[in-house]
Amino acid sequence: MKRHPNDGVLRRLVDEPAGVADADREHVDACPVCRSGFEAAQRDAAFAATAFTATALYAGADPDVDAAWQRLDRAGAAQPGRKPQTRWKLRSPIVAGLAAAVVLAGAGAAAAADWFPIFRTERIAPVTIHQADLMAMPDLSSWGDVEITSKPEVHRVAGVTAAEKESGLDLPEVGDLPRGVTGDPAYQAGRRISATFTFRASKVATFAAGQGGTLPPMPAGLDGSSFRLTAGPGAAAVWASNQGVPSLIVARAVAPAAYSTGVPFTTARDYLLSLSGLPADVAAQLRRFSADGTTLPLHVMPEEMTSKATEVGGTPATLLTSTDGFLSAVVWVRDGEVTAVAGSLSADEVLSVARGLR
Amino acid sequence: MALSKRAPVVRPDLEQIFRAAYPRVVAVAARVLGSRDEAEDVAQEVFLTFGRSDVPAGEALPWLSVAAAHTALNHIRTGKRRAGRERAGRPDDAVVPDVADAVVALEERRRVRATLARLPRKQAVALVLRHSGLSYAEVAAALDLSPGSVGTTVRRAESALRKELNA
Repeated sequence: MKRHPNDGVLRRLVDEPAGVADADREHVDACPVCRSGFEAAQRDAAFAATAFTATALYAGADPDVDAAWQRLDRAGAAQPGRKPQTRWKLRSPIVAGLAAAVVLAGAGAAAAADWFPIFRTERIAPVTIHQADLMAMPDLSSWGDVEITSKPEVHRVAGVTAAEKESGLDLPEVGDLPRGVTGDPAYQAGRRISATFTFRASKVATFAAGQGGTLPPMPAGLDGSSFRLTAGPGAAAVWASNQGVPSLIVARAVAPAAYSTGVPFTTARDYLLSLSGLPADVAAQLRRFSADGTTLPLHVMPEEMTSKATEVGGTPATLLTSTDGFLSAVVWVRDGEVTAVAGSLSADEVLSVARGLR
Repeated sequence: MALSKRAPVVRPDLEQIFRAAYPRVVAVAARVLGSRDEAEDVAQEVFLTFGRSDVPAGEALPWLSVAAAHTALNHIRTGKRRAGRERAGRPDDAVVPDVADAVVALEERRRVRATLARLPRKQAVALVLRHSGLSYAEVAAALDLSPGSVGTTVRRAESALRKELNA
């Protein structure tokens, strides 16, 4: 039999079993000596937890953050030059937006007879776009007509059964919640979003005149051609926290897709990129990633987050961490469904939740 | 990542980090001190130091948690307790159902503090951080330990705590 795992391993098995090697776990299950050592570790850990709860009696109560900030401010810690609150206020919408994006992100059933699919999401690739470049990008409506044909109407539902029924998806179940995430989640569901974009040569000409420059000529057949973009339906489980940002979100949706009335995806994409005013390297990234018509570019603003390639259950995934380190998310696509795990957690924690989904 | 290498007089992201991390910093200090007011005093001290540091934003939370644990432990060891703050430790302001429980709770808080003060510093900090919700990896990074030795360190501290409190 393998040598006994040490006390530290037994202790970690108590509250972070995912961090313990399978071999050690199996050994403890089978070995009476280790089993008893594990139980002793469990008892002492519970004892300490009780002692600390008694010590920090009010630990569940929220300290008054505003009053505390005023106090620090008076102590001279905060001097001019900072932008008050703006970034903090952005934080909550970032996570909420992330959840909504995932709930929305999904493609519906087959296209209607005269539409044929030109894009379906099979994987996601991060594309770095600086905030300023993104802000400078004109709206799609500068070049044609945008019509939202169905709205997602993300809304709260009674429970997991309702969320799954509305979305038609299996919402994965979380194995072990990270420390600090407690209670039951609230469930949300969103319907399929569908939008149509029709190229208008006249609008492009007006746009070009406004820019004071000449734009590349529109490829033949593009004027008046339509594209339909769909995403969803989707569903999400959201664990709230007392800090204004959800502590954990697990969301799944049918992945985005695009359909055309005849113009190939690459023609439309290249023309849009030439109009966008995006820097050449960004345009090249987008062109490269979307070359196969199955990779959805995920905008990553380096001012806000960093991205890293990882894997979840053998599927390539993208791990995003906010530059302040408070928010992390991991996103992946499998069988036409996009799944995301996000929250005010460390990168390791979201990965551990993602890999433990059932 | 385009982080400024200069340490500003007061870092521009202080308020954002303060608002996000303050409850956690108070919670860490409260586990050591058992008093909300004292814990908030420690949190103020910690953020004053942090505000003048150039700790990368991504490492702020573990840094602040470790600083809160150390500063709170220093408060106990140097007996830096303020008479005016003692009321926070009095049972009547807490969610304690009756006087008998309150006395037990107060005594237990005193004994937890005393035990933490006697433990080797690394054990005390690891114990407090783990019970404040930091993962093994975070405690390991904060104390420059391997995740494996975090388990051993926490285990020893918990064993000592039980022996002391049951003595």
